[in-house]
Amino acid sequence: MDETRPLILIVDDVALNRALLSDVLCDKYNILEAKNGNEALLLLREKTSEISLVLLDMVMPQKDGMEVLSIMNKNGWINEIPVIMISVETSHSLIEGAYSLGVTDFIGRPFDEMVLMNRVNNTIRLYAKQKQLSNLVLSQIYEKTRNNSMMVTMLSHIVEFRNGESGLHVLHINTITEMLLRELLCRSNKYAINRDDIGIISTASSMHDIGKITIPDAILNKPGKLTPEEFNIIKGHSLNGAQMLNSVPFGKDEPLMKHAYEICRWHHERYDGRGYPDGLKGDEIPIAAQIVSIADVYDALTSERCYKKAYTHEKALEMIHNNECGVFNPLLLECLDAISSRFVVSLQTFDWGKQADKDFFYIADSMMKDKAHPIYNQTFRQFINERKKSHFFESMLDDLLFEYSYTPAVIRFSSMASQKLGLPRTISEKDDKLALGANAENWEKIQSVVHQHPALSNDPIQTEVTLTVDGKSTPCKVMLLQIWENSPDKKSTLASVYGHIDILH
Amino acid sequence: MSLSEFYSSLGESLDEVLDRLRMESRIMKYLRLFLEDPSFNELKEAFESKDAKTAFRAAHTLKGVAANLGLNKLSNTSSDLTEDLRPGVFTDKSQALLEKVEADYIAAVEGIKQLE
Repeated sequence: MDETRPLILIVDDVALNRALLSDVLCDKYNILEAKNGNEALLLLREKTSEISLVLLDMVMPQKDGMEVLSIMNKNGWINEIPVIMISVETSHSLIEGAYSLGVTDFIGRPFDEMVLMNRVNNTIRLYAKQKQLSNLVLSQIYEKTRNNSMMVTMLSHIVEFRNGESGLHVLHINTITEMLLRELLCRSNKYAINRDDIGIISTASSMHDIGKITIPDAILNKPGKLTPEEFNIIKGHSLNGAQMLNSVPFGKDEPLMKHAYEICRWHHERYDGRGYPDGLKGDEIPIAAQIVSIADVYDALTSERCYKKAYTHEKALEMIHNNECGVFNPLLLECLDAISSRFVVSLQTFDWGKQADKDFFYIADSMMKDKAHPIYNQTFRQFINERKKSHFFESMLDDLLFEYSYTPAVIRFSSMASQKLGLPRTISEKDDKLALGANAENWEKIQSVVHQHPALSNDPIQTEVTLTVDGKSTPCKVMLLQIWENSPDKKSTLASVYGHIDILH
Repeated sequence: MSLSEFYSSLGESLDEVLDRLRMESRIMKYLRLFLEDPSFNELKEAFESKDAKTAFRAAHTLKGVAANLGLNKLSNTSSDLTEDLRPGVFTDKSQALLEKVEADYIAAVEGIKQLE
């Protein structure tokens, strides 16, 4: 098959109708055929970014054309894959219904092959041009974001370097800030921040200590105890940092600048009002500064400094809870507890390249959701999900893995998993359970594991279940990674779950 | 019987079909495929098992397939039956409409079998 030719998916329950279409089109296009709506959806999920056009019959057994269209809407596919509906249907309201579900064109039967061919050509050309443009825009943004993110990282490393701290401090604060923000957004909508701010605030967190470049070396890196006067000079770094940002002649209204200013100035305030420089109290302290403040304290405690040794993770949490290093917002302490077991791992496996990708994901993600000028790009959306998936799978090759998707409800096992669990490589939720024989119970258990975690999480979830492995009942640990997608009504829905099964002996 | 004689015998026109599908050899191929299409049998079975929804779908399919092949009489009688069954229940006209479809279907099938 010539891979450079556009791929057309023909969906019709009648073999004769499929032959009629594919005969006309196969000279110029690659053809995929589906006998019903369910088959079509499986192919659409598998080859979303490859299919250039769908020719869809309206009346079919199982899932009909209209149902296929509404799922294509739900998954956002309709924005990128044009659909031409072909039917003998003459009912005005049904045809109008198809248009309102986003079909590009409606061709009645009997059709003229020349007209069909031209409509297909035109539709594919138009969509190819649109896709090319959005790829161009996104790849330029990708380059820019990587460079910007590298720039911020380099500058903040310079500050770190002078402080005699390892460059990791900034990266750790980035990670902890991001995780705290995510957790906070799941728990409360009290603060005027949303998902789009996560990337900006964690980037801004890199700037928290820039004011330290105004502090003389002799004081900044003094190994012994500081005198009260010296300590006062050090305290000046928060206000100095804020003033440095304030004197930047442009960008005052940019969210990055605004958050960086808040963070520089107020990351040493205390929730009880006894911090510096302004003695702000409670939520008078902007939430971005409150979060960076906790991240800063945690990382300072668990790192070695010229004046102290590193504390353990547990000891650091205990000291934070006992108000030994400041007083914090109780809600943020709850968030810290909720994520603390996860961020030990996150901090150890930190990778700058992934961080730059992440910044890009935030931008691409918010562009694709932009109400006024949405960019539809399934390739990039898949790229984002693939990255998440491969980061998760990297360390677990040759293991018992599975991939579960919601629409259509299908699970795929790695060959090892399929072998050990005695299940076929691919199972659809619609399949007859009896056909799976003795191991149907394994499938039922995995189904319930996949469905039991409806809470939105971007980090792997761990659970335990007893499965029949090689015919023997065996306790297993299952790690799950959920992939969430935003539907048009802004609600997050689960799109897929990736899983890893670990046999406990 | 030639393709042109076949269409004339049914009161249809080969030229109209050729305009749309271009080649006689392809029309021939589709007519042979039409013999294997299960829609008509599904329609009969759906009537026997009193399944009006499946009957509607089968009649709808038959209407489309016949229209593409220029079997306009069959397409028209199937269309009448489709509209009769659209609400999802059998009416007192359904059986008579099915008999018309059957007559046109058998005429077409007998003709196709005699094609060279």
